[in-house]
Amino acid sequence: MKNASATILYNKPLTSGYYKLGLGWKNKGVRPGHFVMLRVSGGSDPLLRRALGVYDVLRRGQGIELIYKVVGKGTTILSNMEKGECLDVLGPLGNGFKKLKTPEKLIMVAGGVGLAPFFMLAKEHAKHGAKFLMGLRTKAEAKILGDIKATGIKVLCSTDDGTLGTRGFVTDLLKKEVKKDSIVYACGPMGMLKSVAMVAKEAGACCYVSLEGAMACGIGVCLGCAVKTYGASHKPGDTTYNMVCTDGPVFNSEDILWDELG
Amino acid sequence: MSVNLGGGLRLSNPVLTASGTFGYGIEFAPFMKLNAIGGILTKGLSLLPREGNPAPRIVETPSGMLNSIGLANVGVDAFINEKLPKLKKYKTKVIANIFGETISEYTKVARKLESEKGVHALEVNISCPNVKKGGIGFGTDPREAAKVVRAVRKVTKKHMMVKLSPNVTDIKLMAKAVERAGADSISLINTIPGMVVDVNKRRPMLAMKMGGLSGPAIKPIAVRMVYEVSKVVSVPIIGIGGIMTARDALEFIIAGASAVQVGTANFVTPDASVKVVRGIEDYLMEEKIGSIKKLTGSIID
Ligand SMILES: Cc1cc2nc3c(=O)[nH]c(=O)nc-3n(C[C@H](O)[C@H](O)[C@H](O)COP(=O)(O)O)c2cc1C
Ligand code: FES
Repeated sequence: MKNASATILYNKPLTSGYYKLGLGWKNKGVRPGHFVMLRVSGGSDPLLRRALGVYDVLRRGQGIELIYKVVGKGTTILSNMEKGECLDVLGPLGNGFKKLKTPEKLIMVAGGVGLAPFFMLAKEHAKHGAKFLMGLRTKAEAKILGDIKATGIKVLCSTDDGTLGTRGFVTDLLKKEVKKDSIVYACGPMGMLKSVAMVAKEAGACCYVSLEGAMACGIGVCLGCAVKTYGASHKPGDTTYNMVCTDGPVFNSEDILWDELG
Repeated sequence: MSVNLGGGLRLSNPVLTASGTFGYGIEFAPFMKLNAIGGILTKGLSLLPREGNPAPRIVETPSGMLNSIGLANVGVDAFINEKLPKLKKYKTKVIANIFGETISEYTKVARKLESEKGVHALEVNISCPNVKKGGIGFGTDPREAAKVVRAVRKVTKKHMMVKLSPNVTDIKLMAKAVERAGADSISLINTIPGMVVDVNKRRPMLAMKMGGLSGPAIKPIAVRMVYEVSKVVSVPIIGIGGIMTARDALEFIIAGASAVQVGTANFVTPDASVKVVRGIEDYLMEEKIGSIKKLTGSIID
């Protein structure tokens, strides 16, 4: 874990407000599900760093690649930065996804930029027969799937408007694919994660979700990114708070009190 | 750069890190030399561990952030047994920030820390609701504040810093009250109550609706309060609020502070406090000022 200045190698628009960002930032031990915090402004507005999941490790740890979507002030500033510019990067942060014993049972479920942690997993587990399910708004967004498709992994899509794959939610796809012995890894908007957790539970499958939440520090000191979880006994009254940044962002979906999330 | 805050507390330089923004200190060791700063303030410690408030607990605001963490902490015993031993190998001063919901909770926490050599001072956070008094803040009533301070004074020989809430009509009254009650130094300001509304959901952004504003947005208010307080008390003042850079810190010092605390900036730049130390050193050199003491309250007004 370190905080160091990174040089932008490239910052390319992909489609529909999605960008791919390459950073010269030496790293060791980055795993799928890890994230970094970027300081996009040298000033005080926006004040806090932006958390982004690591998409890929470049040139044997000489750099990292990230995918983001322009949604607000921070990502707008980021999208206007150019090759050669520098920004502070803190990381790698978080626990990451667990190493799998049965990767052939893996079903990854992503919504939008939630695909970020899955490219490295897709590269690793395409050959084992893992599957990748993706929820998009519309066909034009499918461009962000290029790398993942190229791994040869089985990809299924849903779109809100039915222009590609099945019309509807990615959880509809999951309902068809999930089996009792599946291992579901999901990343995306909170509403989607909640539905994924429910579908997995009904099927009796295990499910790990990568949560997003408001973060200030990323290193477990501000206690701002709390999520309510069941304690070790898993009894209804036995609950506690975990920090998304250090205890997560990946949680067993059974540990989360979904109704308490905003 | 060294500063004597009285009551047995001497700092190698005037830069501390603010309570609740620096964990228990050790978390920052990967990013900076803990010995490079004057001291660290712990997360607020209570008699029993506290889980804190429901989420969401934080939201970004223009040049600032709101938090409603709810004073989550491991409790004073776990601090002494698990956190404090890890700080022993550092020379930096450890100041324990304490709070309670009753006066006896404050004194119990202070007593437990009294025999700990690794704790060099206490900072009494009085911005806490008094449950026995129907939730009226200790920090908003000079008489209640004085009661807490007198009670803690009786049980501690350590340097006692008292941290003021800005949520009052006249900060000078609070400062005078805690000075008379035995404070060795006064730190200010704590966060300012605020609120953000989610326009799409038509709901407050924070689960607790309101939170405390911190960061650069509050700096001018904090500087004004330090200036006002410096005119009416004789104990040293520690300036807090929106310090991101050395120049921010210098504003407080010139306005009357003997030392400063860096808070929210630690989230943005983990070694912000060290950069503030270096920047103050450079300023003293460039301006040919022999000591930080000469700068304190040197404002030309
Ligand atoms: C996330 C967070 C947690 C805090 N927790 C405490 C606390 O436990 N006790 C306390 O006295 N002040 C606490 N504070 C207040 C700070 O110590 C400081 O007074 C305030 O943030 C203003 O300084 P800043 O603008 O540099 O952050 C907290 C502030 C933040 C942002
Ligand atoms: S973001 Fe600060 S504790 Fe997680």
